[in-house]
Amino acid sequence: MTPISRRNFLKIAATSLLTASGAVGLGGLLRFIAYQSEQAPAIEFDLGPAANYPIGSRTIHPNIPAVLIHTESGFSAISLVCTHLGCTVETKDSGFSCPCHGSTYSKEGRLLSGPAVEDLDVWPVELKDNGRLLVRKTIVQPRG
Amino acid sequence: MRPNFFHHLHPPTVPAEQSRWRYTLGAGGTAIFLMLMLILTGALEMFYYIPTPENAARSVQTITYLVPFGGLVRNLHYWSAQLLLVVSAVHLVRIVFTGAYTPPRRFNYLLGLALFLLAILLDFTGYILRWDTGIQWALVVGTNLVKTIPLVGATLYTALTGSVEPGPATLIRFYAWHIFGLTLIAMILMIWHAFRVRRDGGIAVPPPGLRTVSDRISRFELVRRETLAMIFTASALILLSSLAPAPIAPPITEISAISGEVSAPWFFLWVQQMLKWGDPFLWGVLVPLIFLALLAIIPYGFPQPDPSELGRWCPQSNRLAQITLGVIALAVIVLTLLANAR
Repeated sequence: MTPISRRNFLKIAATSLLTASGAVGLGGLLRFIAYQSEQAPAIEFDLGPAANYPIGSRTIHPNIPAVLIHTESGFSAISLVCTHLGCTVETKDSGFSCPCHGSTYSKEGRLLSGPAVEDLDVWPVELKDNGRLLVRKTIVQPRG
Repeated sequence: MRPNFFHHLHPPTVPAEQSRWRYTLGAGGTAIFLMLMLILTGALEMFYYIPTPENAARSVQTITYLVPFGGLVRNLHYWSAQLLLVVSAVHLVRIVFTGAYTPPRRFNYLLGLALFLLAILLDFTGYILRWDTGIQWALVVGTNLVKTIPLVGATLYTALTGSVEPGPATLIRFYAWHIFGLTLIAMILMIWHAFRVRRDGGIAVPPPGLRTVSDRISRFELVRRETLAMIFTASALILLSSLAPAPIAPPITEISAISGEVSAPWFFLWVQQMLKWGDPFLWGVLVPLIFLALLAIIPYGFPQPDPSELGRWCPQSNRLAQITLGVIALAVIVLTLLANAR
């Protein structure tokens, strides 16, 4: 190995130190701006008395957003958030379709056609002792 | 005649042949004028705009419908922003199709490309500030796209939105980027870009020995032409502002989570069209970045125009660069039309 001259050594050392301190500064800046300053929104929603939803009903709750389904086998909630890029899907006779990029889902939330690659989320619905329904989102983070 | 400050921003004389409209298209100068218009009208809008989810859309309504001349100010801001994108694209086409990016102008070409990118980001953040039902899906899709980037996506998402979904923290962050962060960077780059034009020898011309025409015009003539371009652009802005008002939509409510405009802003319709094909990261992030990277390496990795062919349109020697930009531009236009034909 050829010996490094004093001048080159100082140049390399200075450049490396400047680069390193710059990287540390950038890391600090990124941590500063990536702080989550807003509380995560609610994941539990009270849907009111179960008696409001007769068997066979499909009720849209835009604030969740989800559709509450009551069948012979009980209550369930299908998320209306498209699994592709997060737009709210529209309700169609055949099921659901996303207005943004055209993904379609069956009435049960199963994927029929892309660009999405996953089914709509289905969330558990709990019947409380006081007769009210509670839905809990299991996936809090919107997907990307 | 005694030169004033404005004259002094120009060289004493410039080559006549390369100062003609048909060569420059006046695009760079018009872009500077539009940026000054945007700063002026934007500063006025800040008197009324309130960057909170409850008040943003209402304050935009206040500016648009109640404040005297508020509608005009907002329309001028909107149309200047849209025209800035068009004029920047025209400027880019001019530079590539005249081969004006060769050394010593390589670095200034990159500065210009960065300014184009900043103009797009400023347009998008400004559009989001409406915070009404017209923008909600573009915001959701745009931020979710950032999240698909491997390794850094989640961190960038939090940096952009300040939460796990768009909310009050998102609006204040977009506001800060729009009125200060991006604007400051754009101002600095704009001044640097203009300085480098002078430093690199003014408008691109063939070397002295290869020039066929040696006529020059004075800075007075140049400023006269620039003033004409400004008057023409200002007239176009006022005409557009009176004929076609800036878009506005009802405020976001709980119910509007299942409605609203689903089209991307016009300059991102081509991305929305590609997203219908599948993978969000590939079509929404990677392909646009590849387009940008291709444009960025034109002065470094493509066959360079011959010096004798500089100073006029479509030199044979940089055909590949012209074809590359042409294909990208055509792809963006066709995709935009496809998205509109939906």
